Amino acid sequence: MATEFDQTLDVKGAKCPMPLVKSRKAINDLTVGQTLRVLATDRGSVADFQGWVKTAKNIELVAQETVQENGTDLYVHYLKRTS
Amino acid sequence: MTTTNVPTTATTRTAAELYAALIQSQPLFILDVRNEEDFARWRVEGRAALETLNIPYFEFIEDEAAAVARVPRDRDILVVCAKEGSSEYVADILRNHGLNAAHLEGGIVTWGNLYDVRDIADNAAGRIVQIARPARGDVSFMIISDGQAAIIDPLRHTNYYLETARQAGASVTHIFDTHVHADHISGGPALAQATGAPYYVHAYDAIHPIDMLPAQMPYEHLQDGQTFTVGQYSVKVIWFPGHTLGQVNYLATAPDGQSYLFTGDGIFLKSFGRPDLGGKGETWTPILYESIYERLPQHIDDSTVILPSHFSLLDEDDGQGRFAAPYGQVRRQNDALVPRSKEEFTAYVLGNLPVFPPQYVEIKRVNIGLVHPTEEQAGELELGRNICALSQ
Repeated sequence: MATEFDQTLDVKGAKCPMPLVKSRKAINDLTVGQTLRVLATDRGSVADFQGWVKTAKNIELVAQETVQENGTDLYVHYLKRTS
Repeated sequence: MTTTNVPTTATTRTAAELYAALIQSQPLFILDVRNEEDFARWRVEGRAALETLNIPYFEFIEDEAAAVARVPRDRDILVVCAKEGSSEYVADILRNHGLNAAHLEGGIVTWGNLYDVRDIADNAAGRIVQIARPARGDVSFMIISDGQAAIIDPLRHTNYYLETARQAGASVTHIFDTHVHADHISGGPALAQATGAPYYVHAYDAIHPIDMLPAQMPYEHLQDGQTFTVGQYSVKVIWFPGHTLGQVNYLATAPDGQSYLFTGDGIFLKSFGRPDLGGKGETWTPILYESIYERLPQHIDDSTVILPSHFSLLDEDDGQGRFAAPYGQVRRQNDALVPRSKEEFTAYVLGNLPVFPPQYVEIKRVNIGLVHPTEEQAGELELGRNICALSQ
């Protein structure tokens, strides 16, 4: 079953640290309980987002998945604002 | 617009500058901003005194003031990340808070691929050149004499050997591996193809010890006691089984009698090569004992310069980035080489085996031509420092 989300942030092509910097800003713009879908091509974002949510105060990593898009890996992160 | 005369310090350091700073024991403080998992897998290592702190870059994004407060204000900070972006980002933050910070150009990937070329000896007989990959603790050598060049234990990036030979006006005549390596991909077969020189390895190592499959690459089999000539040097093969069954040492002797022993993963300057990477640690340990205590001393004396293919810590160098020491000194400084009975030795070895890196089985497959990784896969296989020595 597909994960539900409220907003999408496209950071394809952006390199570390920008996927995370932009995700932080986008989450600040969500209302509590909403979920952000992040589309990234930076492979390092997978482990970095997992580490980030451990220290971040108001974010839950709902899901992560890797999908193929035009022959390249696309890393999709679902982040929920919890407070 | 105003101009100031305040001197600016560099905001970046190259991997080569980092290595020079580590060798000179500059009071560097490394701030690694990768995630904890990547930091735990491998990091920049220098002398034992090197100070390193891991604060992932996202902690600077979450709570900038708290993260900055954990970084010492009175130090030269070098910020390191995987590729470069996050370290540049964090170094900027630190400078905005008044700290003295630079970032590593190209990130830890570039550090991992740094090669360092320097002479061990340069005299009438020719040159002994050390070609090291410091981040991995991997060391290889060239003997260059009278227009001929032999390469010992070449590493994966072959251009450094070809360029060193070219600059010396020498042609590559021999490519010697001391054994089939488990921790890194050998440049031997590729160099043989590029130069036409034969690639030498002992036949016992041309069988994968776990798969029990034969090599699928061209090589010349070595015999114990076989002798080669490289310019003015004679090079003798000394069979030294233990780390692998087919490991050899190469004893190069100059006309003036000075000798150099290329030990591979035989004896190191502060340890020796572990006998368990072939999956037969208990069986091979007594064989290693005979190589160290009985076979090798027949061929060398205390003045023989020991040149191993690994170090575990930068502290093993001579203070100037050369991983070489006379055998007499090695015997005194190497706790692993103190006289022991075979039973004591076996207990010591089997009690000090470090973790067995699972990728080492695959790297041996690569090194005998059973699998052919892409550049990216090769880089993944070679991530981090070697774990070929016994724990100390």
